[in-house]
Amino acid sequence: MSDEQGTSGRPNFAGDTKAWMGARMPRKEDLRLITGNGKFVADFVLPGMLHAVFVRSEMAHAKIVSIDTSAAEALPGVVCVVTGKDIQGQIKSMRQPVLMPNVPANYPDYWPLSIDKVKFHGEPVAMVVASDKYIAVDAAELVVVEYDPLPVVTDPEVALQPGATQIHDQFDTNEIFKMTFTGGPELEAQERNAREVDRIFESAEVVVKERFRVHRTGVTPMEPRAALCEWSDADGLKAWVTTQRPHTERAALAQVLDIPASDVQVIAPRDVGGGFGVKAPFYREVPMVAYMARKLRRPVRWVESRYESLMNVGQERDQINDLEIAATKSGKLLAFRSRITADNGSGEVGVYWGFTMAFLGAVEMPNAYTWEKADIRLRSAVTNKASLTPSRAFGNFPTRFALERGLDLVAKKCGIEPSQLRRQNLITQMPCASVTGKGYDSGDFEKVWATLMSKVDLPAFRKEQAELRAQGRYIGIGLTCAVELSGLASCVLVPMENLPGYGAAAIRLDALGKAQVFCGDAPSGQGHETAVAQLVAAELGIDPSDTTFTSGDSKTTPFGAGSIAARFGGYSASAVQKACQELKNKIVAVLAHDLKLDATVGDFDFVNGEIVFRKDPSVRTAFAGMVDRIIMKPIDLPPGMSAGLDATVFFESDQPLVCFNADCCIVEVDVETGKFEIKRWVTCEDVGNIINPLIVDGQMHGAIVQGLSNTMFEEFVYNEEGQQLTADFENYKLATAADVPDIELNYTCTPSPYTPLGTRGCAEGRPSSIPGALTNAVCDALSPFGVEINELPLRPNKIWKKIQAAREAMGRAAE
Amino acid sequence: MKTITVTINDKVYEESVEPRMLLVDLIRERLGLTGTHVSCTYEGVCGACTIHLDGDAVKSCMMLAVQADGHKITTVEGLARDGVLTALQRSFKQEHGLQCGFCTAGILMNMTDFLSKNPNPTDAEIRHGLVGNLCRCTGYVHIVNAVRAAAKLALAERGGE
Amino acid sequence: MFPAVIDEYIRPKDIAQARGALAGYAPGDAIFIAGGQSLMQAIKSRMVRPRCVIDLQDVAELKGIERGNGLTIGAMTRYVEIAEDRDLSGGYAALRDAAQHVGDRQVRNRGTIGGSICWNYVASCMPCVVLGLGASMNLIAADGKRRQIRAEEFLLGPLETARAPEELLVSISVPKLGANSGSAYKKWGLVTDALPVVGVCVLVILDSAGKCRSARVSLAGLSAGAHRAKAAERVLQGGNGSESEIKDAFAQAAAAADTQSDKWADDSYRRQLIRTLGFEVATSAFARARGTVQGVAK
Repeated sequence: MSDEQGTSGRPNFAGDTKAWMGARMPRKEDLRLITGNGKFVADFVLPGMLHAVFVRSEMAHAKIVSIDTSAAEALPGVVCVVTGKDIQGQIKSMRQPVLMPNVPANYPDYWPLSIDKVKFHGEPVAMVVASDKYIAVDAAELVVVEYDPLPVVTDPEVALQPGATQIHDQFDTNEIFKMTFTGGPELEAQERNAREVDRIFESAEVVVKERFRVHRTGVTPMEPRAALCEWSDADGLKAWVTTQRPHTERAALAQVLDIPASDVQVIAPRDVGGGFGVKAPFYREVPMVAYMARKLRRPVRWVESRYESLMNVGQERDQINDLEIAATKSGKLLAFRSRITADNGSGEVGVYWGFTMAFLGAVEMPNAYTWEKADIRLRSAVTNKASLTPSRAFGNFPTRFALERGLDLVAKKCGIEPSQLRRQNLITQMPCASVTGKGYDSGDFEKVWATLMSKVDLPAFRKEQAELRAQGRYIGIGLTCAVELSGLASCVLVPMENLPGYGAAAIRLDALGKAQVFCGDAPSGQGHETAVAQLVAAELGIDPSDTTFTSGDSKTTPFGAGSIAARFGGYSASAVQKACQELKNKIVAVLAHDLKLDATVGDFDFVNGEIVFRKDPSVRTAFAGMVDRIIMKPIDLPPGMSAGLDATVFFESDQPLVCFNADCCIVEVDVETGKFEIKRWVTCEDVGNIINPLIVDGQMHGAIVQGLSNTMFEEFVYNEEGQQLTADFENYKLATAADVPDIELNYTCTPSPYTPLGTRGCAEGRPSSIPGALTNAVCDALSPFGVEINELPLRPNKIWKKIQAAREAMGRAAE
Repeated sequence: MKTITVTINDKVYEESVEPRMLLVDLIRERLGLTGTHVSCTYEGVCGACTIHLDGDAVKSCMMLAVQADGHKITTVEGLARDGVLTALQRSFKQEHGLQCGFCTAGILMNMTDFLSKNPNPTDAEIRHGLVGNLCRCTGYVHIVNAVRAAAKLALAERGGE
Repeated sequence: MFPAVIDEYIRPKDIAQARGALAGYAPGDAIFIAGGQSLMQAIKSRMVRPRCVIDLQDVAELKGIERGNGLTIGAMTRYVEIAEDRDLSGGYAALRDAAQHVGDRQVRNRGTIGGSICWNYVASCMPCVVLGLGASMNLIAADGKRRQIRAEEFLLGPLETARAPEELLVSISVPKLGANSGSAYKKWGLVTDALPVVGVCVLVILDSAGKCRSARVSLAGLSAGAHRAKAAERVLQGGNGSESEIKDAFAQAAAAADTQSDKWADDSYRRQLIRTLGFEVATSAFARARGTVQGVAK
């Protein structure tokens, strides 16, 4: 299969392979994907493979009285049916060390299949394995479960009240997690801090107090979850899983199945159809698939339906934030007080337990502004719903909405432009730590803001807004900014998830001068294969087609915490770069020795497949030749040096890395229907030096549209009986291309001083500023009516109701 | 069981299938053409399974395999002829119109049909044409760019006919 | 996810064979499939478990649009054919308005007007439009007996029609709507072209003086399924189609409508949608009747 003659998308950078860094290079991944030759987990077929389907609870909260599998087992083609009771003595519980964060919480003990009771609509209670997936579904229907209903708890505030029905019998509270994020770890210091915050509020000229609510929504990927497991007595367990964290998945499988980790290999295929955090947890179904493969000594494949996916995963956000902000009347921000109540769901999800997202959201809440103090507390309540699972903008979506809406309310009270309020409070001293202790390494936030505003012409907008208002038309502008994480330093990730934050890369040069790069993370569309090839090309002077990239395989790659938290650009890419540096150091040491030159790596350029001596370019040699010399002809090497060209680097930056973005949204609202149209979405991003701008542009577009879709359309709805009503795409609506605008991206560049290339990971937290920007724009449009919207989702029917109420109030006031 | 004859990507297949087998499962599971994907359950909203039935884009998860008896189907594997990518495929690569690639086959099939019937579309028409394909990764901007570029390319290659 | 076991699949070549295919099955066990864009959802979710599926794709008598005294639209006419038929203008334009925005283009390539009407989903466009245009359904029973039944009597309520399980919908007859008639349809849903939370269809026929001789207004998306808004019709009939008349017509339609609250809209918002959509649609219908606008209501 050939691409266009002579144009693999390679720009003409003859003479300067350093130009691969920053090139808008079309991706290496694409050819297989545009020709239907990708290989996703559901595409893998093994001889003798069986198909698994889970029987799931119809009840939100109930005791399991009995499960009758006899009819299912009798169906021709069914190989095995198991329930929780069958497996409870055979495997360990899901509460295993590698899956437990290092923070105190009420972690429920649970098995992959329910044992005594079910706690949410959709919880798996039995598993069917059959020769054919249609038969497996037939059999699942024949499993008869008898339930004894229990009272259902769907409101997190109700769940936290004394006397509420307890969901996890091991505990006498539905509070799974609670923490104060300001004032340090000691209670006394926290209380002292809280009193200082009280004092600031008492004397503040401007105080805003509001309750903000964000609904249950998330970023469900297009590929549903799947796992294929194969067991052999000789090699143990081999599992292909749609996971963002193959190394963690491997350790977890080993611990739950109680087998040595050396007997477990997890592979996230190089083609995974989107993750966005939803594929980061360790889920119940995977150890069950592994269990069945081992029990039956046949490969077993499970592919979830969209229905199961929407029932069980991808639910995030869902918080109440009681927020108060204190400021001076000239708009200097002083302090804020935030009480967050999170709707945790059942919490039975490994690594995350439903609350680590809210944890990080609270840590990051101070955003890009200087505050004297803050008092931030979180309580996460177990309810009879699916557990929250990560979604892109991990934890930040609801807190950023609250804060950014709150700031617009402050600006109104101060009588200043919301953009002015933000600008004058932006952090300028770097590195710094926020009032929660979260470190920011570097960044020029003011420059980003100024650049954004230069694209907007606010005075002209206000003039147009006034003119249109006189004609009965309502346009509005909304502005937000966000400092987002760029990887997570170990000092945060170890407590939060019991996992290290470093980026790791192993590079192996082969005797022909080609590079093989191994990373332990598992991308799902971010273009790591291409970006890594570009990095290696820029460093070693070889062509991007001469680098192969292996990710996602626990057997062959160094440990990686996973494709989460925007780790690639800052951490993994830096590890690749430093591994290249080590290889270059060694190559140059041998070359200098061979040439009897007194020179080090800084005296040579690696360019266009050659190594060239800068002081005398006639002194040059082929890269591939040197590699061959060091691997295949290791004679007369420098004293003490061995053959081979392998380098493995674990990189962690000296400061926690961040990136920064600002959004401007302009809308027009039709006050007769509450419908609104986004007329313009313009941004400015600072993500440091960029490896491939084409890829980063795509990441920004995708994140912004996910944020819009979450804000406007998507909502997971549970009724009072805990029945989940939005488990298909008719009811859980995703944005189509016709529902979202074009997006104008702008960039400034503050290279990070803490990464070798000045790169930063980016675009994970990106959706978080979207709800604030959009809602601020709608409220700005409707300010003649005094409409303030502090709840999501943002919907025409709700906007219309608010306008009607405002009109009625205005009518009454006029009487 | 019914024996059906279906032509897929110019190859004739004779298969014995249960009446309830979905067309997408014939394509993927029976015939191993896994380029076509499944992303929703029964609702037929996501469009990842889009193929051509006698040249028109339809959702293969919303048909029984037996309904395809006697018909011609094209899947994403059949777009490129003799290893030469179509203008649309090339544009998707050039414009970064895909990230994870899971929705891509469905979009390529839908847009191939769309462009054959709308050779000079506006951006609004492209976006409307894409309503039947959900994408999570790209935010659609680069997809629209790719379709626009492909239309231009195809017009130019035809000498602006 | 996957259909329950289906014992038999039959693809008849003509209506007689289609009728004959029902033999040997209890009513409801053998079902006809047209485009399948609604029915396949039901079959895959197992809401419907047919023992036999009778595929109408080859039955020629069910295809095509005949023009004579009005239209006879074959039940198997695909949405895309209606959507692209420029001759469906004036009084017939609502058919195009609806067909151009059903689902998405893949659905429109496959789904049929007959399938939509027989399924009569609570939030659907075609039942509303055929009711609005005063169409009638032409049915044939297993024994060959034919009957024609007006939309009002055919559409009984969500997922319910007067078609007996062993009857086949052959075609839809739309009365002749001449040069002085105009119709339009528009819906609102949360995302582009979503199923209607509310949809409104209006047909007006003007007399030679330009006054509204007759008006038909039908609503989609309410829990009763497609039904007429007679309050609006009464206001429009005999009037000039002025802005204030139209506003009044739909104020009354909204007030009289039995609107439900659900996650998409509460009852008061549905009323507002009746008012605003109704205004747009009626304005468009009058303009088309006067020959001043030929475009499709966006």
